[in-house]
Amino acid sequence: MRTCIVWIAGCLVVPLTTTLAMANGWNMPVGVTDVSREIHSLHMTIFWICVVIGVLVFGVMFYSLFRFRHSKGVKASHFHEHTLVEVIWTAIPLLILVGMAVPATATLKKMYDPADADLDVMIIGQQWRWRYEYLGEDVAFTSNLGTPRETVRGEGERGEHYLREVDEPLVLPVDRKVRFLMTSDDVIHSWWVPDLAVKQDTIPGFVNENWVRINEPGVYRGQCAELCGIDHGFMPIVVHAMEEEAFDEWLAERKEAAAQEASGVDREWGLEELMARGEESYNAVCASCHQPDGGGNAPAFPALAGNQALMEERERHVETVINGVSGAAMPAFRNTLSPVEIAAVITYERNAWGNETGDVIQPSDIAERLAD
Amino acid sequence: MAPKLPLHHPVEQSSTANAGGQAAAHPAPRYGIKRWLLTTNHKEIGSLYLIFSLTMFFIGGTFAMVVRAELFQPGLQLVEPEFFNQMTTMHGLIMVFGAIMPSFVGLANWMIPLQIGAPDMALPRLNNFSFWLLPVAFTLLLSTLLMPGGGPNFGWTFYAPLSTTYAPPSTTFFILSLHIAGISSILGAINIIATVLNLRAPGMRMMDMPLFCWTWLITAFLLIAVMPVLAGAVTMMLMDINFGTSFFNAAGGGDPVLFQHLFWFFGHPEVYIMILPAFGIVSAIIPTFSRKRLFGYASMVYATGAIAILSFMVWAHHMFTVGMPLTAELFFMYTTMLIAVPTGVKVFNWVATMFRGSISFEPPMLFALAFVVQFTIGGFSGLMLAISPADFQYHDTYFVVAHFHYVLVPGALFAILAAAYYWLPKWTGHYPNLRLAQWHFWLSVIGVNLTFFPMHFAGLAGMPRRIPDYALQFADFNLASSLGGFLFGASQLLFVWLIIKCVRGGEKAPAKAWEGAEDLEWSVPSPAPLHTFEHPPTFRHESK
Amino acid sequence: MWSVIKSVLAAFFGVQKDARRREDFEKGRPVAFVAVGILMGLALVGVVALVAVAAAR
Repeated sequence: MRTCIVWIAGCLVVPLTTTLAMANGWNMPVGVTDVSREIHSLHMTIFWICVVIGVLVFGVMFYSLFRFRHSKGVKASHFHEHTLVEVIWTAIPLLILVGMAVPATATLKKMYDPADADLDVMIIGQQWRWRYEYLGEDVAFTSNLGTPRETVRGEGERGEHYLREVDEPLVLPVDRKVRFLMTSDDVIHSWWVPDLAVKQDTIPGFVNENWVRINEPGVYRGQCAELCGIDHGFMPIVVHAMEEEAFDEWLAERKEAAAQEASGVDREWGLEELMARGEESYNAVCASCHQPDGGGNAPAFPALAGNQALMEERERHVETVINGVSGAAMPAFRNTLSPVEIAAVITYERNAWGNETGDVIQPSDIAERLAD
Repeated sequence: MAPKLPLHHPVEQSSTANAGGQAAAHPAPRYGIKRWLLTTNHKEIGSLYLIFSLTMFFIGGTFAMVVRAELFQPGLQLVEPEFFNQMTTMHGLIMVFGAIMPSFVGLANWMIPLQIGAPDMALPRLNNFSFWLLPVAFTLLLSTLLMPGGGPNFGWTFYAPLSTTYAPPSTTFFILSLHIAGISSILGAINIIATVLNLRAPGMRMMDMPLFCWTWLITAFLLIAVMPVLAGAVTMMLMDINFGTSFFNAAGGGDPVLFQHLFWFFGHPEVYIMILPAFGIVSAIIPTFSRKRLFGYASMVYATGAIAILSFMVWAHHMFTVGMPLTAELFFMYTTMLIAVPTGVKVFNWVATMFRGSISFEPPMLFALAFVVQFTIGGFSGLMLAISPADFQYHDTYFVVAHFHYVLVPGALFAILAAAYYWLPKWTGHYPNLRLAQWHFWLSVIGVNLTFFPMHFAGLAGMPRRIPDYALQFADFNLASSLGGFLFGASQLLFVWLIIKCVRGGEKAPAKAWEGAEDLEWSVPSPAPLHTFEHPPTFRHESK
Repeated sequence: MWSVIKSVLAAFFGVQKDARRREDFEKGRPVAFVAVGILMGLALVGVVALVAVAAAR
């Protein structure tokens, strides 16, 4: 008896939790694209189908548990087969599923149609950051975790967007069809923003397609969804959706800035400014493996501070940063960082943490090497 | 804790053998460690499997506790992300290959010969070998945690190239241990098939077998079909890592997605390998405690077969976001939806078995009922995941984690616990302590739901799986999951205590320990003597 | 032959009359059922694939 009461109480939990499930932050977001809305409605449809079937099946089950208790002296009947009933309960789920497959197919076909895009954006997954390239616009940048590492370790206040903030968000226009071309430089990542209903694996050596047409301006956050190594949990995605004019303005500004950065390659740089620039890039790109203090994380990620081989072999150091180490965790940065950034990082690594080699690597030298 | 199996079966307990014939048939009993190392007895090997899987369950569970402790609140407090990844990976590998699978093999070893009236497994020495491979495999696997660079850290699905080019040096040992565990599974499966097909009591037809034998027979065929695929995939990894091939390395002309196809061609049938024997167990327990025959026995057999065949056609539903062609997405969505039908039939049959029965709530029945409800919840989320467009939102989130844990923990694991409670009287001769079992049940049910239900919400709200730290909006869900996880983990200690008590003593069980139990195992004394059915029993046809 | 196909179809659907099943088990040859089962399994894959191709248009 007591058992039954607890079971019935369990039954009450189901409607309670479903009500809660409708509450904000507990359910799949409706999102801001037509596709995301369709997906949300598919999700809710199949959810309610499950709830109805569940109530029926569990209803009969708990009724039986309550009504046909041995302790009440009920005698078991002896039926154990009934062809008609079996046919019915096989056929009905089959029909429900066919009914569900039709709208699902329609939505999927929409998702698979990236044709006639107004803008192409290349999304490149890298351990552990995203690189965005606006194809045909000469604008490209990497987007790193914005939350300071110390905050993760418990120093300072965790802000509202803890772990879901970046140094540079992906900026997109609303009301234009944007096609994403997605690939990776190292392992498989997956670019996911729930509000846009885009989740697509980025696979080294292959290019995947997806697309989005955002209906409302706003800031939409997501993160990498496929395990990609140590910092899988620390490669967020922030999409800043702007009105079309604002976006065009932003793009023009970025183009100009890119042109200026390119011209910076040609001038002579001093140790001080390279060190400052290098520290910035090092902390954004290198520190997750080699640690902010250059201590590394042996054996996969060697220490840089006090590394004799590094200090003695300047040429190999430059080569390693540009082309990576084949077959090891060290990626090639030739396409990820600008010549100025590469020169700055190498200069920083050769002079920080007591590595006082005094070497200054000029961006122009790096640019020359990259051109080869 | 060595189970106290009688070394010689007392003559007065043996219903079939005569003492003279026995001395000739069996070698002199061995004592101590040699008894267990060299045993060819299906009951002793069954016990070894069960003790091994219980040990692995606690090791894998400890890893899960580390994961839950780190996720207790936002921020990195206890472990580094690198070690966190090793914990999630090892938890998955140990639970799948070390806990769930061997415990089903252990149950098969103990019960299949008893249920079909066979004196032992068909290939007893092979049986010994297939067990003793397992401690070797898992010692090797666990030892990787102590190697420089740490153990496997790429998830139990070990996707290339994270598990090849970017893997720690210990990966080669991981591959070797999977090979050994795979050989063990294949040998075990061959043994079960040989036993079921050849050693049934005279007069017992296939359609007279208890459903546990049927589901295990089909599972065994699945194992033989897919373990070689896994072996092939890990061998290709081995070559990529050590011999310069490029099967999965795009830079060398290979294809990382090929790995996922191979893995899931193994992996999806593997999922059914972990659930079909559970169906068999529940199909034995529910009729017993409903005092009524299983409803739709034949359709249960057909449904098991259908699930097994369909399981080979659905693998790429784990890969809806890798960028397959539209046609392939549709194909795998349709086949995945189809698989819900035979699974539904099973649940309907169990409910119909209870309908107008005469139901009592002994511990095995409690766990079996909880299995039906919670496995069905896992089935529902599986149905949702089958809808390919929606899967773009669910994939690789905690919604998926919730789904497969509902199928595997309150699903497969609860069925194993139900089986243990059901057959403990047969194994030990004593009933398990009722009060303790009820505590174990209710704490487990509360713990497991508190752990895994909030994961649905966390996933829908946008939390990806396998992350050591998370955004603040997921904090409450994770707090609840962690508390539930600790409760569930701690309550399993009750189970160990209960088993120790049950082995040592308790209320004596008769041969037919449960009033409504009908199968052949209940015709031998409790505890089952070391050698049973040395002369085949006469099997009485029921009117089917 | 036709009765074998009907039985396999019934098995695919999962429901079969008890009398027919007993008849199959007593009179039918297992090889015939296995062969037809495999063929029909392939046919099922073909049908679902065709539906998928048609739907993708």
